[in-house]
Amino acid sequence: MSENYVAPGQQRYLRACMVCSIVMTYARFRDEGCPNCEEFLRFAGQPDQIDSCTSQVFEGLISLANPAKSWVAKWQRLDGYVKGVYATKVSGQLPEEVRTMIEEEYRIQYIPRDGSATEAD
Amino acid sequence: MASNDLQFGGDSESEDDNFNPAPADLSDDETDGKRNARRSSPVDDDDGNDHEADGASKRSRKTVAAEEDGEGEEDEEIEEEDEEDGGEQADQDEDEDEEEDDEEDDIAGRPRRKRRRDNRAAFFDIEAEVDDEDEAEDEEKDGEEIEDFIDNDHPDDIAESGRLNDDRRHRELDRRREMEASLDAEKQAEILRERYGKRAPAKAYGDMTVVPKRLLLPSVEDPSIWAVRCKEGKEREVIFSIMRRVEERLGTKNELAITSAFERGGVTSVMKGYIYVEAQRQNDILIALDGVLNAYPRTKMILVEIKDMPDLLRVQETPMLEPGAWVRLKKPAKHAGDLAQVINIAQNGLEARVRFIPRLDYGVRDDPHSNLTADGKRKRPGMPGPRPPQRLFSEVEARKRHPRHIQGSGQSNSFVYMGEEFENGFQVKDIKIQQLDVKDVHPTLEEVTKFASNAEDGTESLDLKAIAASLNDSSNVAYVPGDIIEVYQGEQRGVIGKATNVQGDIVTLQVTEGALKGQTIEVPNKGLRKRFKVGDHVKVMGASRFRDEVGMVLKIVDDKVTLLADQTHAEITVFSKDLREADDIGGQGALGQYALLDLVELDPTTVGCIVKVDRESLVVLDQNGDTRQILPTQITNKLPRRKTAVAADRNGSEIRGEDVVKEYGGQQRQGKIIHIHRSFVFLHSNTMKENAGVFVTRANNVATIAAKGGRINNTTAGPDLNAMNPALKRNPAGANNMQAPKTTFGPDRAIHQTVKVKKGPYKGLLGIVKDATESHARVELHTKSKIVTVAKTDLLFVDKITGRPIDIYTRGGARGGYSGGGGGRGGFGGSNGGSNWPGGSRTPMASGGGERTPAWGSSKTTARTPAWSRGDVSGSRTPAWGDGSRTVNPYGDGSRTSYGGATAYGGLGSRTPAWSSGAKTPAPQDGFGHGSKTPAYGGAGSGGRTPAYGVSAPTPGASGSDAWGYTPGASASSYAFDAPTPGAGLAAPTPALNAPTPGASYAYSAPTPGASGPVSAPTPGASSSWQGGWGAAVDAPTPAAGAPTPAASGGGYYGAPTPAAFGGAPETPAASGPRYADDDDE
Repeated sequence: MSENYVAPGQQRYLRACMVCSIVMTYARFRDEGCPNCEEFLRFAGQPDQIDSCTSQVFEGLISLANPAKSWVAKWQRLDGYVKGVYATKVSGQLPEEVRTMIEEEYRIQYIPRDGSATEAD
Repeated sequence: MASNDLQFGGDSESEDDNFNPAPADLSDDETDGKRNARRSSPVDDDDGNDHEADGASKRSRKTVAAEEDGEGEEDEEIEEEDEEDGGEQADQDEDEDEEEDDEEDDIAGRPRRKRRRDNRAAFFDIEAEVDDEDEAEDEEKDGEEIEDFIDNDHPDDIAESGRLNDDRRHRELDRRREMEASLDAEKQAEILRERYGKRAPAKAYGDMTVVPKRLLLPSVEDPSIWAVRCKEGKEREVIFSIMRRVEERLGTKNELAITSAFERGGVTSVMKGYIYVEAQRQNDILIALDGVLNAYPRTKMILVEIKDMPDLLRVQETPMLEPGAWVRLKKPAKHAGDLAQVINIAQNGLEARVRFIPRLDYGVRDDPHSNLTADGKRKRPGMPGPRPPQRLFSEVEARKRHPRHIQGSGQSNSFVYMGEEFENGFQVKDIKIQQLDVKDVHPTLEEVTKFASNAEDGTESLDLKAIAASLNDSSNVAYVPGDIIEVYQGEQRGVIGKATNVQGDIVTLQVTEGALKGQTIEVPNKGLRKRFKVGDHVKVMGASRFRDEVGMVLKIVDDKVTLLADQTHAEITVFSKDLREADDIGGQGALGQYALLDLVELDPTTVGCIVKVDRESLVVLDQNGDTRQILPTQITNKLPRRKTAVAADRNGSEIRGEDVVKEYGGQQRQGKIIHIHRSFVFLHSNTMKENAGVFVTRANNVATIAAKGGRINNTTAGPDLNAMNPALKRNPAGANNMQAPKTTFGPDRAIHQTVKVKKGPYKGLLGIVKDATESHARVELHTKSKIVTVAKTDLLFVDKITGRPIDIYTRGGARGGYSGGGGGRGGFGGSNGGSNWPGGSRTPMASGGGERTPAWGSSKTTARTPAWSRGDVSGSRTPAWGDGSRTVNPYGDGSRTSYGGATAYGGLGSRTPAWSSGAKTPAPQDGFGHGSKTPAYGGAGSGGRTPAYGVSAPTPGASGSDAWGYTPGASASSYAFDAPTPGAGLAAPTPALNAPTPGASYAYSAPTPGASGPVSAPTPGASSSWQGGWGAAVDAPTPAAGAPTPAASGGGYYGAPTPAAFGGAPETPAASGPRYADDDDE
């Protein structure tokens, strides 16, 4: 049941989605895709896409148990996502074409999660 | 229709402004609906109609295409309509203004989109004003698109249109409902699915973008966050453990009540050692974390205050690497820690292409068994061998061993070798960011120069900026109270003040200028920079390569300050953050082990004095007066300051460190001696600026001004040469030269001597000396087979045959010939046997005495005595010798004498050298020199010297009675040899070595006496000395032959006379001559 658990030995294969910041192993990205962004990122079975749109460099893990109620989720704009482990910061930037695609076709404003989008709060 | 296209285009572009996709769609629909309503309205603007048509068509299209339509929510629509009314009124006012916009719109279709979005946004009060504008735009556009109706929208209609719109919308809404109702259920369902299906993910993003963070700030309703201690470094594991637990208990009655948990660990993080758990109640956390490994919920849990909660999740942007920046490599183990330069960054920012200096061994260390270690085991792949030094890639070397593994050409200077890329000698590689050390790189000048000096165009491309980028972290500038600070960013920009307090990132400023003067404000140190005035005296702090330079500010441009360094008078530009007000004068003292004014060795022949210490390099003044800039690594050695170093100034006065001297010529600079190195002195003067006041000159070019400690410094009296003369030290003037013989070369003479113990428990026992030191001897006793150590003074040396006491030292000559012992004697005996001498054994004895005696005699009459008397009158000596000589006399014949002399020569030879070497060699200069004149001996002795042994003997022999007999005879020659031979026998080798020296000096000075003596003298002399030394029988004849010549010239009497004649005539030289004989004897 604990599908989101990653044993310490496997943690070096972890990657974080640059869009939703969910943290999973590479294998899971490849097999299942991103539970939140699969619709437009389509990781499943596309290692290239995983390479370009997920990052091995992330920090500040969040274990999200109740996205709906959690303020942390709200603050991180993770409400509406599935339960799971997320990262507070994901380094790396989405390739330009992916970004354009997301924003134009799916009308999703991409917020970089690498800290560059820290707005005046 | 056009409007349709417009809408699409508009939507796609709308991302510029934060937009909420779903509502945007919604608004689209609504607009359409509105338009429909409009159309139906009686008053009906033309444009309204038009739009309506558009809308209708669009909608249909949308449904088919399953565009993400906003679902029309009736309530909202109503609201929207209200809004639009207001908006429209405003719009009409602005019609004229917006005409240009309209044109754009036509092309890009942007207005549509905007309006739509805005309409949607209209649902929110906050955006009301914006809506107005957009509405206006819309209206305008509408008008424009259908030109006919432009007029209708004229401002005059404002009032009316508002009402009309209102109406229109209601109608539109109705219409739409109707329409939806009319669609068959299936289709409707599909539409809905399309809409909502798309929406789910989009919604999240919509929220994310739309809701500004400030609206997300936590409130009291939100769960609280507690900080829970956990094991440092295990934060991530704990988070995953919690995740697992959450999922495991999901849906059970034990479901965890926490909503989230997070960590902000990391090696450098201040938040490590904690995880943060969000839950409504603290108890939930206790339950959730109970039994979780590495988490310690039972320790004190800290409740995070609401206002602090956002800070827990603050994310700081990692500074982007920029091309040109310096980094350090972590990963290829071979290169760990090496400096690298970023060439470019991969698009996703996760990889960088860097160049660095390769460490290649070009397969030198490869060997067929490279997979096996010494003990035959397989090498572990991770095990790094010794890593080769950093060296630029060399094609030649690479081709040497791996010609097949290299590709590329020298033209582009880029190669692929063993799978690695090399450009311009550097290795180029894509490396993941996490394998680079980006922070705290601190490239040293040395490292950087390796890169810089290899710029493609060959020029130095030291880029201060690039280095600064690596070093620069403006946030960690340390401000200290008292700094004058300027705010250059943020709301307080332009404020200038003096720091009164610094706490963390907050600097408290006492404003000193401008409107806020006198107030105290707090500002984050992010947007601050230090402020200096032109003329300020500042010191470079920070990591700049000009660190510790001190200078005066010349110019300030932004945060770059140009200053004139005090020491170098160079203009340097640094960042103001790296400056401090300075009250000291520049120049740091030391770089590593090298400090200012240290004496260092640059190469075996060059030394230099450090006159400037930079951050990474040194400037030295070398002994030739040149200054050069070097790296510490170029220094071979640091020479310690030698307190005892002494030199003589031009007056011969002794100078030492710290003495004050003045240059004799030239600039007459005056300075204090800081170093003396060989003939160079390094001086320091406080009156000079260049080279830190250090200059170098030769010791003999300075004159003492003041000697340290008031040493007597009589410039007129030269140095005490006596004190310096090692010869005198050895043979102090006036001391008994008899001392000299005691210092012997070679093995101790006592060895192998038969001795009798005079004292102690072994008194009276006989033994043989096996080994000896200066004071003691180890004696093997004859009685017991035992070796005992006895003081030499307690030994009596005895003749091992006769048992008579002998003095091995004073009779050294004897020893040569006599005790010369086994070999010597044997030789003697043999030769004697050949000759007319009676008893073999006796002969030596006799000859021994005779030998010696004559030797003495000969040398003495002519030379020896005078030699002694001249060199120094030692009463003791003369008699001592005299004895010998006298003894001889009885033996009679000059021939014998001379002959003996020859023999003795050999004997003496061994001994004499000791003296001659000690005293005579140095002697040349002074009175002693007489002795040294030894050569004179040669002169005198051409007859004398050579002959003294071999030659003079024959000569006398000639004159003597029986001498003739053997002179011509082989025996004569053998004789002549014999003499030397025995001498050589024992002692020869040693003297032989010495021989050349006297030989040389002799031959050399021979010419002087040569006047009196034949020139040939030297020749035989030389040869004789050699032969003597070596005892080469064959050579003997030569001297022998030579001898007669002088003898002939001398007058052809017996040997003694010959030298005597010479001696008489060239008295002085003769004197020296004989002395020579002594020397020669050696």
